[in-house]
Amino acid sequence: MQRLVGGILIITATAGAGYVYGTELKKYLGKIQYLRYIVGLMKGEIEYTGAPLSEVFSSVARRVKEPYRNWLGQLSARTESRDESGFSRIWNKCIDRYLRELNLKTEHSVLLKELGTFLGQMDRETFNRSMQLYLNRMDLEIEKLREGLAAKKKIGGWLGIMSGIFLVVILI
Amino acid sequence: MERQNRKSQILNILAKSVRRVVEEDIPDFDELQEIRLRTGKPLIVIYRNREVVLPTERKQHITTKEEIRETMEYISHYSLYAYENELRQGFLTVEGGHRVGVSGKVIVEKDKVKNIQHISSVNIRMSHEVIGCADGLLPYITKNMQVCHTLIISPPRCGKTTLIRDLIRQISNGNAYVKGSSVGVVDERSELGGCYLGVAQNDLGIRTDILDCCPKAEGMIMLIRSMAPQVIAVDEIGTSEDIHAIEYAMQCGCKLIASVHGLDMQEASRKPVLGELIRRRMFERYVVLGNGKHPGEIRGIYDERGSVLCRDW
Repeated sequence: MQRLVGGILIITATAGAGYVYGTELKKYLGKIQYLRYIVGLMKGEIEYTGAPLSEVFSSVARRVKEPYRNWLGQLSARTESRDESGFSRIWNKCIDRYLRELNLKTEHSVLLKELGTFLGQMDRETFNRSMQLYLNRMDLEIEKLREGLAAKKKIGGWLGIMSGIFLVVILI
Repeated sequence: MERQNRKSQILNILAKSVRRVVEEDIPDFDELQEIRLRTGKPLIVIYRNREVVLPTERKQHITTKEEIRETMEYISHYSLYAYENELRQGFLTVEGGHRVGVSGKVIVEKDKVKNIQHISSVNIRMSHEVIGCADGLLPYITKNMQVCHTLIISPPRCGKTTLIRDLIRQISNGNAYVKGSSVGVVDERSELGGCYLGVAQNDLGIRTDILDCCPKAEGMIMLIRSMAPQVIAVDEIGTSEDIHAIEYAMQCGCKLIASVHGLDMQEASRKPVLGELIRRRMFERYVVLGNGKHPGEIRGIYDERGSVLCRDW
């Protein structure tokens, strides 16, 4: 009886771990989608108001949740105070510091930092085109994540159950 | 505090290496008039009406392309796109009302200046108000506590903008000669208000509404419709659209204060459309400025018929 209960508990635990893995993947996709939403808001704000970046960041910060709000708020303050000789430095530092808890993969962190290299540097027409290209790239990344998500979730779930059974067999 | 603000306003927009040189060599920022940065050339400032090459004690500081780029980043808050319209005119206004003129490679599209790229020279001109410079003029351009339609005629650099600015402030606040009136200002080049993010950095009085960076002709009509001003003030009128808008404003019951480039009454009368307004005696007062002894010197005040009210002030 004890073995049966133990076996069920092991399988439940490993299946749970598989489920959590799937949920984390979904959450990660959500984070990237939210970043895409923020970049879209920035683009809209710049296109419509033509305001300087500090104003754009503070305006967008009011419409988003934490930790993005704090990130944008800090970006706005640092841009306003003109501490760094280049905007990309401020952008990169703020990503490293205030978006650390998102645990972005290196490729996505690099993608996000890339935005800082052209933000505010061009005339409005070129800027709008570059932003659109950038958003398309983000869409592509999201699509890639979404495509693999269902399969990864299924594999994660099954791997959890199978590893549980495997453990039970070994332990018995 | 204000002095500290002025100093930090100026230093904050300079590249860090230039900032150090200026901070070390300029003891009083109130006396600083211009900072000129030119790629590959020495850093020059106009200080106490004299040209000074910085630093004064050591080897000249040669401005680099990188310093110009950095300065432009600070000036535009890392957002050059936001100042595209201003840059197209060759200047932009920063916090404190200071004027930054730029030159470089001009991009032309369909015979019109589209933008300025590869900026190679930056000229930072400090904003300065001369509070009270219109004190003596007010008795001549007011009647029954109301300001008359006034045209200020002046060659460049004779202080007409400074004079108009103080007139606006006094008319808006009111004093012994004029009842406080709502003043609408159309500030096409941000010279009168020195607006930064829509807020006037110069004191234009308590009853002043300002349309910043707005074409004069359109702006005057917009103001009449939206803000019902008693007085409208515009600087450097020139095109026939401006003059027609002035005529329209006068017929709407607004008093008008305007300035125009010119040496004297005769020269102003010879201008095609403006001359017609002068002949029709639309303006009640003419103020002619000169630069003989000092900027802002009043050479003559005339009434609508051209009779002298005051000469060589």
